[in-house]
Amino acid sequence: MTLTARGLTVSATLGGKRIDVLRDLDFAIAPGKVLGLVGESGAGKSMIGRVLARSLPPGFSVTSGRLDFLRPDGESRDLVTVPGPELSRLLGDRIAFIPQEPLTALNPLMTIEAQFGEHLERLGLPASRRRARIVEALAEVRLPAPETLLERFPFQLSGGQCQRVLIAMAFASEPALVVADEPTTALDVSTQATIVQIMRRLQREHVTSLLFITHDLRLAARVCDDILVLYAGEVVERGPARAVSQAPRHPYTRALQAANPPLDGPLTRLVTLPDQMPGLAAFANLQGCRFAPRCPTRDAGCAASSPTLREVAPGHFVRCADACSVAAPAAPAVLRRLEAASSGVPVLVVENVAKRFAGKRDWLGRRSAGVDAVKSASLTVRPGEFVGVVGESGSGKSTLARLIMGLETPTGGRVLVDGQDVTQGGRETRAIRLGALQMVFQDPQSALNPRRPVERLVTQTMEAKGSNASEAQRLERARELLRETGLPPELIDRYPSQLSGGQKQRVNIARALCVTPRLLVADEIVSGLDVSVQAQILNLLLDLRAERGVGLVFISHDLAVVRYLCSRMIVMRHGLVVEEGETEAIFAAPKHAYTRALMAAAPPDDLDRPWPPDAAALAAAEG
Amino acid sequence: MAFLALQLLFRRLLLALPILLCVSALVFGILRLLPADPVAMSLPPGATAEDYEKLKQAFGLDRSLITQYGIWLGKLLSGDLGGSIFFRRPVSELVWVALPATLELVALSLFLGISVGVGGGLAMFALRGGLGEQALDGATTAMMAIPEFLWAILLILLVGVSLQWLPFIGRLGPGIQLPPTITGFLLIDSLLAGRFATFGSAFTHLLLPSIALAIGLAPLVMRVLRSSLLETAQDDYVTQARLRGISENRILVRHALPNAALPTISLIGVQGGFMFGGTVLVEMIFAYPGLGNLMVDAVRNHDLPVIQAVALIYCVLVLGINAVVDVAYLAVNPRLRLAGAR
Repeated sequence: MTLTARGLTVSATLGGKRIDVLRDLDFAIAPGKVLGLVGESGAGKSMIGRVLARSLPPGFSVTSGRLDFLRPDGESRDLVTVPGPELSRLLGDRIAFIPQEPLTALNPLMTIEAQFGEHLERLGLPASRRRARIVEALAEVRLPAPETLLERFPFQLSGGQCQRVLIAMAFASEPALVVADEPTTALDVSTQATIVQIMRRLQREHVTSLLFITHDLRLAARVCDDILVLYAGEVVERGPARAVSQAPRHPYTRALQAANPPLDGPLTRLVTLPDQMPGLAAFANLQGCRFAPRCPTRDAGCAASSPTLREVAPGHFVRCADACSVAAPAAPAVLRRLEAASSGVPVLVVENVAKRFAGKRDWLGRRSAGVDAVKSASLTVRPGEFVGVVGESGSGKSTLARLIMGLETPTGGRVLVDGQDVTQGGRETRAIRLGALQMVFQDPQSALNPRRPVERLVTQTMEAKGSNASEAQRLERARELLRETGLPPELIDRYPSQLSGGQKQRVNIARALCVTPRLLVADEIVSGLDVSVQAQILNLLLDLRAERGVGLVFISHDLAVVRYLCSRMIVMRHGLVVEEGETEAIFAAPKHAYTRALMAAAPPDDLDRPWPPDAAALAAAEG
Repeated sequence: MAFLALQLLFRRLLLALPILLCVSALVFGILRLLPADPVAMSLPPGATAEDYEKLKQAFGLDRSLITQYGIWLGKLLSGDLGGSIFFRRPVSELVWVALPATLELVALSLFLGISVGVGGGLAMFALRGGLGEQALDGATTAMMAIPEFLWAILLILLVGVSLQWLPFIGRLGPGIQLPPTITGFLLIDSLLAGRFATFGSAFTHLLLPSIALAIGLAPLVMRVLRSSLLETAQDDYVTQARLRGISENRILVRHALPNAALPTISLIGVQGGFMFGGTVLVEMIFAYPGLGNLMVDAVRNHDLPVIQAVALIYCVLVLGINAVVDVAYLAVNPRLRLAGAR
């Protein structure tokens, strides 16, 4: 075993109470095997990496248990207690890390050669041989023309290229263990597939053990040999990847799986868990099973005593009192799509809009070439219709949203709201726009003014000129909005910092609903959320359509989510719409090569279908 | 890189020309509005109205303001700064003596301010969370709370008068001969002439006024660098370097410091400009014969040509230091100099 955890417990002291952030963790990774650590944010999955690196947050410490690492000399060392200098010698050499954010994980002021060279110097490679070794390592991660990258700085590379450089660095020492913490989360789907492919190939070739930390059960099922599911600091299920992902036994794992919209097969309404995982401070108050308060199958016994991990099948462990007896939840209702209303004036018509950003002046005053963020895009949304805009970073999908909202003025084409031309902006067109359209921004963290309570945030539009709503009316409207977006009424006087990520996104949506718009423009509003919270938000949007007839332009990189929500979709690439049509038709038979490549890049639910796709298909998507 | 730096410097100088033109017009115009009569001051007692008119004509002060400005500007461009009314010598002669003195003073002050600032910033970062940081923090507060002219006086009283460690009047000790003027920079000329005693005297005379000026810069550099270092210490690439087993010292010097230096360099650009302003008071206190003292004398005597010339030179110096800082910024930050930066 390369790495063995035995009863590992990480505790923090919060408000004078000891809280187990990670409780009684057991696992083992054999040489050349991949262990997946799956969990939502706050589950404690990143604690392992931090224990290894001795970078626990202040106040956190390992209070019991061991983390044994098998050194190349055959001696086993407990990484929790090993002296600092010895740990430093292991880090980067025998144990390597692949980070989550490739663009910020490289020093922006150092060339690739300088950073890689520093790493090789640390590994003891003489200066004369470093350059050749770097080129060789970069070629191994399939970076084209590696020699040309040496003098480049990280900001001159794409996220995917940076991640390949980091993977090359991680494997340069042929480590026994690689810890990859969400290595593809910040990347596009097609890049994700490439990165996974490279990581797995190197890991197999070098017989390296890989600890793969992710929030994505579907991805983990593809990458890992074994999977360990964490909930609130505890392992709730552990076993072979196929068993855990295809036939989960713990209600939480089942919920995770059910919350993930499928890429094929019939669509059913996503089953969501109530609330969300308790925060750290709430860990101390949990009695008995930590999952019990949200468990759909709990009984009186669950709150009384903590269940232990039981082996339900060879190598398959579940922490649930009656994991075997619990039946799979009843199949939920098949989702009915709203038939696109063929009659009625479209709420929004976008005709061949284009946006060219003039080049910036550099320090010599030379104007660089301009950027065509959107070359030509057309889109029609009828009342109550959900239209998806799919594309990867740089496809122009966010610029399209800003053009629709009038935050940018198009350099070509027209934008019509309710049949009226609002292309050029100005005061009157602004009134037309604001009456019909509202935007929900991507990041609720920065979209919500931290100094305003929820009531003021959601009724912000009532402060607009011409609206003379009284304080009582505002409060009343705020209550309605909270109810409509499924937020508990007591949140009304809270500030954004007191809300969870999912609650913030609901407030963000509630704010857009205040003036009862007929169309919401939502830019990647679920990409920063955990799957279970994402499912709640997706269902909320469906409910809003059913109850209020709100339409939606849903911008996303996630094909499964678009398939779940939208009856029609467009696919954008390099500022152009490459494909458009009914969602079902496009999923059944994508016409454009890029759409096909994009679909191939997303990991399919069916584990028997090969993934990642071959390199040629990926190259077509990444292009 | 060197070529790029030259290109940038050249461009900065081009941009500086209109600024200089505006400043020259402003200085010229404002000084003419002052209720000062240089002609009357230049006349011996008992001169007649006729003598007055003659001198006024000789000075060219009877012409229109715009013509006067045109003449002054034309001469300026040919390198003629005019003649001093008070000293009865060409202004350029006065400036050629005073300018190197001030440049030496500012150069040493910048060197001291930056070294102490960077060293102190690193020390504050290294000692973070401890008593050492609090002590240094207190020291910076004290340094900033007391203005530099007061520091100058305190230094004279303590180091100069009580302890008698360093001289505090003028540029050279009594009885020490000036070396032959080659560059005008005393430190350089004395070394060129091989007079080490002169060099020593000039250097010790520079120390106290430089320290007084550096006290204005060092604490700011310390604080800005410390807070930038604290920020970069949280950056991903620092964590990743640590996870690769790179030593802490190397992380600080190779990764954290260059990234943290960027705001500090901008700060030095701004404060460097202020430092020239600081020389006026400090030179006066230390009786140091630089531009500042020349300016004070000129103002006291309504010596318009000298005031104009020195004001313009200050402007050139400030623009020059900004250009140098820009080049330094460019050298440290590849994002600015490389095309294709995203």
